[in-house]
Amino acid sequence: MSRTSLTRRSLIGAAAATALAPYVKPAHAAGPIRVISHRQPALEYYTEQMKKALPEGQVSVELMPIDKEIELASITMSSKSDAIDVAYLNDTTMQKFAASGWLEPLDDLWAKYKGEFKLDDFPKSVIDSISYNGRIYSMPILTNTEMFFYREDLFKESGTALPKTMQEYFEAAKKLHQGRVSGTIMTLKPVDGCLNESHWYLNAIGEGWFDKGWKPIFNQPAGVKAITMMKEMTAFAPRGFTSAANDESSINLQQGLAAMGLQWFTRAASMDDEKKSRFVGKINWIVPPGGGQRIANDGYAISKYSSKDKDAIFKMLATAASQQSMQKGAELAMPPRLSVLDDPELNKKYRWYSAARASLEVGKPFPSMPDFLDVGAIVTRYILQAVTNEKEVKVALDMAAKETAELLQSRGYYK
Amino acid sequence: MRWQRGLWLFLVPSFGLMALVLLWPLAYAAYLSMFDYHLGSPGMRFVGLANYGQLLSEARLWQSLWTTIVIALGSVGVEFLLGFVLAFALYRLTFSVRVFMILLFLPHIITPVVATLFLKWILTSNWGLIDATLMTFNIGPPDWLGNPVWAKICVILADAWIFTPFVMLVLYAALQALDQAQIEAASIDGANSWHMIRHIILPSLVPVIVFTVSVRLMDVFRFFDAVYVLTGGGPGTATETITMYTYQLGFQLLQVGKASALGIITLVIVAAVIATFSHLLQRGYGRTG
Amino acid sequence: MKARRMARVRNQTLLFVALTIFTFVNLVPLIWAALTSIKNPADAFTIPPTVFFHPTFEFHRQVWLDRGFVRYLINSLIVSAGTVCISVPIGSLAAYALSRMPQRRASPILFGLFTIRMFPHMLLAIPFFVMGSFLNMIDTYPLLILALVAINQPFTIWLMYSFFLEIPRDLDEAAAIDGCNLWQTFRIVILPLVRPGLTVAALFSLLLSYNEFLFALVLTGIKTKTLPVAIASFGGEDVSDWSISAAGAIGIMLPIVVIMLFVQRHLVRGLTIGAVKG
Repeated sequence: MSRTSLTRRSLIGAAAATALAPYVKPAHAAGPIRVISHRQPALEYYTEQMKKALPEGQVSVELMPIDKEIELASITMSSKSDAIDVAYLNDTTMQKFAASGWLEPLDDLWAKYKGEFKLDDFPKSVIDSISYNGRIYSMPILTNTEMFFYREDLFKESGTALPKTMQEYFEAAKKLHQGRVSGTIMTLKPVDGCLNESHWYLNAIGEGWFDKGWKPIFNQPAGVKAITMMKEMTAFAPRGFTSAANDESSINLQQGLAAMGLQWFTRAASMDDEKKSRFVGKINWIVPPGGGQRIANDGYAISKYSSKDKDAIFKMLATAASQQSMQKGAELAMPPRLSVLDDPELNKKYRWYSAARASLEVGKPFPSMPDFLDVGAIVTRYILQAVTNEKEVKVALDMAAKETAELLQSRGYYK
Repeated sequence: MRWQRGLWLFLVPSFGLMALVLLWPLAYAAYLSMFDYHLGSPGMRFVGLANYGQLLSEARLWQSLWTTIVIALGSVGVEFLLGFVLAFALYRLTFSVRVFMILLFLPHIITPVVATLFLKWILTSNWGLIDATLMTFNIGPPDWLGNPVWAKICVILADAWIFTPFVMLVLYAALQALDQAQIEAASIDGANSWHMIRHIILPSLVPVIVFTVSVRLMDVFRFFDAVYVLTGGGPGTATETITMYTYQLGFQLLQVGKASALGIITLVIVAAVIATFSHLLQRGYGRTG
Repeated sequence: MKARRMARVRNQTLLFVALTIFTFVNLVPLIWAALTSIKNPADAFTIPPTVFFHPTFEFHRQVWLDRGFVRYLINSLIVSAGTVCISVPIGSLAAYALSRMPQRRASPILFGLFTIRMFPHMLLAIPFFVMGSFLNMIDTYPLLILALVAINQPFTIWLMYSFFLEIPRDLDEAAAIDGCNLWQTFRIVILPLVRPGLTVAALFSLLLSYNEFLFALVLTGIKTKTLPVAIASFGGEDVSDWSISAAGAIGIMLPIVVIMLFVQRHLVRGLTIGAVKG
């Protein structure tokens, strides 16, 4: 009885297996180079250049929000899979990936193609930010910094001076916080938004994140003062600031719901796009008061486990990052190449460039450590507890510092 | 009829596949939960039950667990009440039931990731639909996603929006299957609606209620999209659920060992909650499972 | 008698009106999203909300023509169809066997099944990826289908179990006396009786596999990417992505709505007959 059913089932099984067989082939034998990237207009442009750099069908690009992209890259590379060849990484994630040994060092290729692609054109600060332990790990594609966005018309009407210090910023936000218009945007969604905003306050008012030996100092008096100010500033932020990411903050500016605030360079162009903004031409940019806002250098890194020709991949990346390509990309993001950045035409064409150049002078990248995102995940949680009155500022920061020190201890920072 | 030996074979394909796909990773996770394992680090260190000890002594675990329970009970409660009212209304309605059925079911078929995005456009401060409408009439609305209490309510309603249709459908079908004669008899005896629901309909629905509520409880403990998209766990930590914590440990900090331990803890807790629930309900109505 | 009929008409009208209002309010997020998908971002997020505007179908055009969503739709359909075709048959087999077991043995197994279902999916994703890449099957249909079938099994089995339980065991015995073996009993005698249940199980499997996100994100690549992953890939850095998400989300619903329209009658009947009695 049961024997019959067994035979029949195994027949069906065999049939199913045969039907599926054609699909079960090694997926990456000779397929295209697989690039995964964060999606934003500038990166859409640059990944398009990668596709054009090689014959049709040899490059496949997938764009997605950065959190998903980093998850996918971590899962893939940590299991030593060759499913991804190139991944977009910002300076902090790049350090983490490089420290984990998931990325291909590019020094040899860099030296080999230095002349052909004028790689000397990248300033030293950029090279530093794409290096880990003295080796280069990614192809710089854009420099991004936050700038201070403000509504020129509102400032003029009320006769308010442009803020140069955090105190002046506080006063201005207080003064312009009227009716529907909030004083300032604040982007405090965990983790990214809040981390960037805190970075600015901690640098402008406090003394930064760590001392030279990677001991947390953000809970020292200056740091407490910075986060206290941030907490007070939320009185002038649009409602819902705790769940505001960059999109929400941009819309608040574009819809005239906020008078000023810190936002990324890459958002500047959309303020003048009438499809997106109701205040075209009314928003202007200056250096963030107090300075110390975040600068990020983003690039594309090659997976150590890629089974493709790394020489070809490097050339593809270098073509996308070439001088010619970046001249066109400059509308969407700040190009890291000096020759493009210094082009006087840029300032004429895009009115936010002069403020951006000046912002680069005063900004600061995240602390150069592979574990900073982990630190950020811990600290922002406590900072948000402080900002929303769940905990005293000092208490929250002390707990954050303690947990940070424990994490860094376990990762071998303090020998 | 006697259990026949050959029937074991019927279990093979399904259970074999589950063993391969679910049980294996589950066992692997249980194994990993006993290691100090960070995805970036070269090796892993055996720590026994230290991850469990560490997690169970953390205030954060208990706080997020409490938040999860509040949100879970809140959403399952809303879903059940609303689902039952809708199902009963449809049961009583004599025409155009089918149209309502389809329209009411629509929120359930939207991809969950996107469904929460839709809700965000309604709930976001200032330019979300509710706020924008209220502010047009100069009413100052509360801060839906920025106030700890409202944020929890919003997350609960978001989950309810997506899953009430499921509860409604199952309960509606169960109502259809009720013994009509008994209900007629009751209404001839002059029982009012409430009495009828309380003493005739609800008792005969107990198995269905156990089924739907258990399924929902199980899923709601895992729920993630609504919190992630709407509040990111905030304001502060007001909506940080246990899955948010797992996500942060496993996907952001890449502490795979500790995250696995947290997964196992969650599983044990949910299993206990559901076992208690179905036991209580069936006892309450004087039945045995 | 007449008064009673009047009361009845009144009650029905009230019920109808109340349901209509509720349904409308309940659908507002969906309607608003549909409007968002045909607005430029500048019009989509205003105070007061813009109801009259110049519609643009740019985003719908982009989604289906420039962004290759047709391809993703085909992938989604292949994956969902594959999942349903495997999940329902093997789930039914197992459910039938369990329903013919003594209950004290079946109950713990059923509870165990659900316990598995409770484990956070994000923790299954990593080991599953490792396995997939070990078998060199990342970015293939069978891998994603197998994963979806497996996570779908507990629910399918539970659902079908209650249907089989409704069918008297005398039938099995009668079939055995007539000379059917186990397989024939199941296939020829029992299965036709639970057809409505199969519809229900199929629909829920379909919903799950069509909308699943996490496994689809981790296990697919350029060749097998499904619609939810494609939609979620918008919505990062540019507010016009939100309009694209809305357009994509509205589009992705349509096939399911059509299927729902077809199976709705069977659905309620199916659930009624036995589903949820267990």
